[in-house]
Amino acid sequence: MKAVVIGAGLGGLLAGAKLTKAGYDVEIFERLPFIGGRFTNLPYKGFKLSTGALHMIPHGSRGPLAQTLKEVGADVTIIDSQPMAVILKENNEIISFHDFRNELTLTKQVKLGTILAYSLKFKPKNDISFRDWVLKYFDDEFLLKLADSFCGWALSLTAKDVPAREMLEIIDNMYLYKGSGVPIGGCGAVTDALSQIIRSNGGRIYSQSCVEGISIENDLAKGVIVNGKTIEADIVISDIGHFGTSKLYECKDKEYLDKISNVKPSKGIKICLSSDEPLIGHSGVFFTPFAKRINGINEVTNADPSLAPPGKHLVMSHQAIISDDRKFEIDLGLLDLKQLFPGKKYKVLLIQSYSNGWPVNRASSGSDNGNKTPVRNLYIVGDGAKGKGGIEVEGVAIGVRNVMDEAGVC
Amino acid sequence: MKVSDDCVGCGQCAAYCPFDAITVFGRAAMNENCTECGKCTEYCPVCAISEA
Repeated sequence: MKAVVIGAGLGGLLAGAKLTKAGYDVEIFERLPFIGGRFTNLPYKGFKLSTGALHMIPHGSRGPLAQTLKEVGADVTIIDSQPMAVILKENNEIISFHDFRNELTLTKQVKLGTILAYSLKFKPKNDISFRDWVLKYFDDEFLLKLADSFCGWALSLTAKDVPAREMLEIIDNMYLYKGSGVPIGGCGAVTDALSQIIRSNGGRIYSQSCVEGISIENDLAKGVIVNGKTIEADIVISDIGHFGTSKLYECKDKEYLDKISNVKPSKGIKICLSSDEPLIGHSGVFFTPFAKRINGINEVTNADPSLAPPGKHLVMSHQAIISDDRKFEIDLGLLDLKQLFPGKKYKVLLIQSYSNGWPVNRASSGSDNGNKTPVRNLYIVGDGAKGKGGIEVEGVAIGVRNVMDEAGVC
Repeated sequence: MKVSDDCVGCGQCAAYCPFDAITVFGRAAMNENCTECGKCTEYCPVCAISEA
């Protein structure tokens, strides 16, 4: 059996590794000169920055991505962050993430326990946003700020743009898998390990190779076209999102086209800092609910010093983009950093923003349209088709798992 | 080099530029170090860079 994968991002590589392991002959085509998409390292002035995602795996060594890596035999070490996360309060006191409840009145603490237990079991079916859900039950300023900080950090959205249903799935997964962890060697170590597995299983990955079209007969995918040549396949997996994929063939399903055209990608800004001294001191998430724009920060060199030159720390902040003015958003982020670390000496290495054609997520969390297409044997993986309750790359792993189930690949 | 409105400011071009000729602040801009070598065009994920 032959499989072709379009795009060598995390989703494409996970799918490729699964397929080669199941005995498929796999060919992966990547348009860019490097493998790994928005989940690999970006070498910059001696630092290992990242092309997209922060060097972090949301559910650490126990989550869906870590499980999938184990299943395919990818050699990646994930250091679980201890503490998992902390919160910087308005008065600059730092508390453990688990202690956020103590910031609420006793009545609200009791209510939170009950409402959360009920809502996790009976998830809201209507379209209520996570912000409205928090308002409805608690109307608490601290919780609203924390919700925005968490959604901004994890999903690059504000709480009003995340359906409560999706957020409760995420909370469920946080109880189940815990979080977060740093892959030793950064994002690149994960995608490199997957490439190695694919190649050692006989798969081939081609960079700077653009897929020009998908060949389809009677609503069945038959292969792809590269350099004018058709490469036949029994299954075609696309890691470039529903919309990008639909441009590669003549899609006549209007309902599907309408649905996928309405999906909004999520957008965010990552500011990479170099510092001689640690600014945070651990590798857990530093949530900043009271900053103007920055949602959270991590300092991955506490888990893996090799991500920076000797004696340096690599610190990355993340913020969702709120207005249409990217430069204004970056200015606010830089101002936040000044106020968060007064008197600290750090240097801004690189400011990276993501939106539109190269976003944080092709489909913002809660707006994913599943992995199927109107064409049989053509599936979508990656951040344009994440599984339920999956934060970022965890959602990518769940999506790949769903495709393998759907396609009957063990 | 010319940068179109499709640029999102991801910084990939800046990191791979052999001449440290690209600054990024919400979008990429070439500075006086640019030799028009065109390396950046290969690394742009949204094909936003073209020859001037």
